[in-house]
Amino acid sequence: MDNKNRQEANDNIEVWEDLVRIKDLVLAIAICAITTMGAYFIAPNEAPKPLFFGLAGALIGFIICSFIIKPKRNFKGTGEK
Amino acid sequence: MDIVLIIEMIAAAVLAAVLYTIIGVAPGTDETAVLAPVTLAIVLAGVEPIVVLTFFISAIVANKVTDSIPVALAGIPGGVMATPMVEHALVLKKHGMPDISIRKMASGSVIGTLVSVPVSLLMAQALIPFSDVIKEYANPLFFIGAVLLALMTKNKVLALVSILPFALLIEGLRHLYWGIGVVPEGTNVFISFFLGITIGPVILTIFELLHKEKRDSMPRFPKKTIDFAQTNPIKGFPSPFKILTKQETASSVLASFIGSITFIMSPVGMTIFLGELFSSRVKDPVKKASVAIASMEGLTNATYISGTLIPLIALGIPLSPMAIGPANALFNAPPVFTTEHNLHHILSNADFVWATLIGATIALAITYFVTVKYAHKICAFVFRWVPHEAILGLFFGLVLLLAFMDAGFINIIGVLVIGLFAGMLHRWGVNYGVQFMILYSAPWIITWF
Repeated sequence: MDNKNRQEANDNIEVWEDLVRIKDLVLAIAICAITTMGAYFIAPNEAPKPLFFGLAGALIGFIICSFIIKPKRNFKGTGEK
Repeated sequence: MDIVLIIEMIAAAVLAAVLYTIIGVAPGTDETAVLAPVTLAIVLAGVEPIVVLTFFISAIVANKVTDSIPVALAGIPGGVMATPMVEHALVLKKHGMPDISIRKMASGSVIGTLVSVPVSLLMAQALIPFSDVIKEYANPLFFIGAVLLALMTKNKVLALVSILPFALLIEGLRHLYWGIGVVPEGTNVFISFFLGITIGPVILTIFELLHKEKRDSMPRFPKKTIDFAQTNPIKGFPSPFKILTKQETASSVLASFIGSITFIMSPVGMTIFLGELFSSRVKDPVKKASVAIASMEGLTNATYISGTLIPLIALGIPLSPMAIGPANALFNAPPVFTTEHNLHHILSNADFVWATLIGATIALAITYFVTVKYAHKICAFVFRWVPHEAILGLFFGLVLLLAFMDAGFINIIGVLVIGLFAGMLHRWGVNYGVQFMILYSAPWIITWF
């Protein structure tokens, strides 16, 4: 397992104390931007609904990203005894 | 207080505790960046002020307890405030005691909360007689705050010199917006500039990705290998006071007390200073590390609670690094809250006590239970399933949304400008505290010319 991981390309950079792959980061930002602003604009135009829609959009973007992007972390150790 | 309101407060506290347990565990999440936008959104959505405060108190307590879980298990801080503890937690991990380390941290948190709530309420009462004088000089005080915090940074001259240009940039954008009519004259765009500063380091990095030589010269890493320590599941629920030795309890209480009364100082700075001070006299490495993590955890909790509550109850203006950063939305979130009309003016003393008690108790009950019992599972879940890209994307989306709501499309560009400048300052060591103080004092600084 360890060996295989070492052969993977070193293509992660550090942003805000954790690793990201540039392509994935661009993708995540694009997805969240589209879902957030998309939801904001389709909301009925009476306060505070656009804000709520926008927040829900941001959350949906976050969930989509969590599904399609793999974290750049490997695990050692077996966890709970 | 009616029963519906109490139920709403309890619901808000539970929601905050669950949400911030997950966020707290996620690595690299800066406290200001995770607390400020969500609190802002809740304020702007028109939630009852007392419910907002309950939510916030629960959020800070939960976030503080859980951001040290990954420190104990993997030596990776779950947030900036957990960074000073890494060294000591690694000692305990090396000795095969990560579970003890987690329990001691959680107990330290409980003590920090128990100490800081009454101390903050008393300190606030003691400050009230002086509040009119302090408020009258609020603008110069923010400027003095910027200067003082600048003097505490590593590159003092750099931080001092950056005050005027940054103030000019902020006011320049505001006057531009008035000039072209996207916001009415006299309305200060605030929220999105605040978030621009918060997310500045990320914006700067993203810009650098467009710079070919910079991009090629950036250090590249393989996947981060996280060495998870084994833990022994325990049965039953030990009392937090039985987990700590007398010495650890005493130093946590003392550290929390000092942390509460020095609410004007930087929380990270105080944590490092006092944590090292208390543990330096202990020789045995394991005992030393235990004293350090218990007292640091108590202290960070205490500085967070007191840094929020004291300025909120006594002054109504955000005169502490905590108040001006993560808790900022409680003081200033136009149009709902302004520095003339915020929680300080709306809530009574009894309201403050109730909101704090409900928020802190529920957060402690949930997170203490969870940390002592399920720390390992939660940590593994977050590390395995939540990519850092998704967290960055989420913040980016939030900033975009609030920037647009503040002043339309042009402000998205404005926030990029602020973020670039602030990110550069941040990288040079001019910390958030200095930058937020400048943001507050900018309108006053410009009146000199």
